[in-house]
Amino acid sequence: MGRLVLRRLGATIPVLLLVTAGVFALLHLTPGDPIDAMMAESVDATAKEHIRRELGLDRPIPVQYVAWMGKLLRGDLGRSIRNGEPVIENVSRRIRPSLQLALFAMTISLLVAFPVGIVSAVRHNTSVDRLGTTFALFGICMPNFLLALLLIFLFGVTLRWLPISGYTDPLDELVDGVRSLALPAVTLGLALAAVITRTLRSSLLETLTEDYVRTARAKGLSEWRVIRGHVLKNALIPVVTVLGLQLGTLIGGAVITEYVFALPGVGRLVVDAVFARDYPLVQGVVLLIAIAFILSNLLVDILYGWIDPRIRSR
Amino acid sequence: MTLSRRAFLKVCAIASGTPLVTVGPRGMPVALAQAPAPRPSADTPKKGGTLRVGFYIEAATMDPHLSGSKIDRQIYHNIYEPLVTLDTKLGVKPGLAESWQQPDAKTLIFKLHRGVKFHDGTDFNAEAAKFNFNRMKTEPKSVRKGEVASIDTVDVVDPYTIKINLKRPDAALLATLTDRAGMMVSPKVIQERGSELERNAKGAGTGPFEFVEWVKDDHIVIKRNDNYWNKQGGPYLDRVRYRPIPDDVVKLQSLQAGEIDAMDYVQPRDVAAVKADKNVVVVDVPSLAAFSYQLNHTRPPFNVKALRQAVAYSLDLDQIVKGVWLNVGVPANGPVPPTSWAYDKTIPPIKRDLAKVKAKLAEGGQGNGFTFTMTTPNLPINGQEAEVIQAQLREAGITMKIKLVDAATQLSDGNNKNFDMISYQWSGRPDPDGNSYQFFKTTPGISLNWSGISNPTIDALLDKTREVSNQAERKKLFSELTKILQDELPMVYIIHPIEPKAFSPRVRGYEAIPDGMMRFKDVWLK
Repeated sequence: MGRLVLRRLGATIPVLLLVTAGVFALLHLTPGDPIDAMMAESVDATAKEHIRRELGLDRPIPVQYVAWMGKLLRGDLGRSIRNGEPVIENVSRRIRPSLQLALFAMTISLLVAFPVGIVSAVRHNTSVDRLGTTFALFGICMPNFLLALLLIFLFGVTLRWLPISGYTDPLDELVDGVRSLALPAVTLGLALAAVITRTLRSSLLETLTEDYVRTARAKGLSEWRVIRGHVLKNALIPVVTVLGLQLGTLIGGAVITEYVFALPGVGRLVVDAVFARDYPLVQGVVLLIAIAFILSNLLVDILYGWIDPRIRSR
Repeated sequence: MTLSRRAFLKVCAIASGTPLVTVGPRGMPVALAQAPAPRPSADTPKKGGTLRVGFYIEAATMDPHLSGSKIDRQIYHNIYEPLVTLDTKLGVKPGLAESWQQPDAKTLIFKLHRGVKFHDGTDFNAEAAKFNFNRMKTEPKSVRKGEVASIDTVDVVDPYTIKINLKRPDAALLATLTDRAGMMVSPKVIQERGSELERNAKGAGTGPFEFVEWVKDDHIVIKRNDNYWNKQGGPYLDRVRYRPIPDDVVKLQSLQAGEIDAMDYVQPRDVAAVKADKNVVVVDVPSLAAFSYQLNHTRPPFNVKALRQAVAYSLDLDQIVKGVWLNVGVPANGPVPPTSWAYDKTIPPIKRDLAKVKAKLAEGGQGNGFTFTMTTPNLPINGQEAEVIQAQLREAGITMKIKLVDAATQLSDGNNKNFDMISYQWSGRPDPDGNSYQFFKTTPGISLNWSGISNPTIDALLDKTREVSNQAERKKLFSELTKILQDELPMVYIIHPIEPKAFSPRVRGYEAIPDGMMRFKDVWLK
């Protein structure tokens, strides 16, 4: 297991290099200038030139990339062009709501998906199954922003049970924090639950036809013990794969949900940074998102080994 | 909402009339004298409460000399004060300066209020004012340099009098000093805390509210300045809490659900629905803005005047204002908005005339029509406007392609003159100079003159508007300019929008000033 982790971590270095170089090149190829974006209404060319020089934006792009990399190796992600704040501070402030939202949404999705998925598979082709698949289809088809607005309208405006927008840290104030994250987490969680339900259902259906399941049933085990002991664990591999990919997406890509609910998360940060052409900030956030993806994939690999010992020994 | 042009002008007139306009229940404008006058107890201002304000974006910096973002100004106008300020008619009235005089075209003398202290306890006086002007002129990152470029030196005449010596006559300077360029920051704060001021404005201003905290990405809080020098009226509110809510729909819903008490802007598509909601009060604030398109004079097709005119005669502004902007604004005749003293209502906006289009196309050597590209921000209302314009041009035999871009690309395309026709939505300045000079004056290098127009008559006229100080004479010059612009067409003007703001019915005493800034000094909560 240790070797697996080491090997995986070693493989991340070229990935990170490729991602950062790619994003750097793409950003600089995109039309637009960070100083113009920041000082839109100012026509003072000398002030703009001064800032450009101070920030090193007048140097050739490869030189800028090498300088950025050099700083990165010393643990310095640079400073945001727009507000002068260290990128690391910006990102670390934003990562907390994103992580909390991701975990909260993930929990909701698992709580919904497992019962629905299992019941759908076990009661295959019954009305319960059809209800489950309809729910899954609905969750996949429903655009995030629409679901978010409907939830806001119902729980925020009409019933006034939950706050519409804004963020309170649950670690500071538990109840208010959970309330502030409830609607966005449900928005993200339901869509995710739909994907997991479908994956789990089809994976369970496939496993249920295996010979060892028939043997287990023939031994006289109760259906529940067959499912729990023999079917579920074997059907989990595809589900864990989906979960791992979604966790990375949730951390860095919940842009629309964060935007609608005015949550100060990483997704909104990266979009705002791209619009402002805030190069160091975009680079920093993309690096972070890449690391989040790598870590969640690593976690998936480790889980594979736990679920299926044969993978570990390979 | 259906608001005719006439009704809009009436709104402007009300907003700019002598009695100050304030918010009453259900959006009815209520005339209210500025000094506390006897009125029913329910309408007597009372101290206390926190006003929660929703904005579309987070502030960029707390340093008014380094700020280039409109949203910053909303906060500044409560914690900082300019030397002079605006009344509802866009007239200039005393701010930190109690009076001013102009002995000649190149000298401006300000008498400053005595007994004014910055929030850090230091005195505001002539030395502080001089320090601020010098900083705006010399600080390398200053965004105010262009605005104070006409200032040569500032002399301290006595502790409460400054004399501003100008390099050249600048009739627009006084109006410029009503905003960030006139805002005074505590020299002590700048010297001791330097760049920290960008994130923390504690002690920095003289205004009715003091900066408390800025939790990045979450909120900015300011509190009442109990030692405020101006004892007339407010401040009444204990605190104001600003929050960024980027989504317009959610911001509006937050107001309807009572999570915020005020919002900076209501989208035209929502205005009618919001006006029908008894939980929300809408104030139509006629703005200084002019929304338009710049036409590139430096390359084909619009280096040919007749083709620029063909485009202008193809457009039906009434239809655009009605269909796209849902009448939240009026068709524009030029850069000067109806809120300005310089607006000439005798000049009509350019009318659609397809016969003229045909003649102009022939004159421009494109009898069968031509093709060009419009560059415009990728926002819903801009996209809609582009499509309507595209359809109107098609009827006139002109083909327009639409290129939707983000703001940074738009700026880059504009500055590099990489466009045929490009959207320009200018928020406007109190003096008509701010809506015209930098757009039409021949300027080498970077300027807002994206069209590249260089016309000696216009240049001379623009310079003259700065040299003449008599308002009536200046108005004539701007009328003349508007007429020339309608013929030369560096820009095709579309609309002077209204900027509706929305409040909870609890909010009282808001005074609508056409610069769109929300000053909360006299605002209170019922």
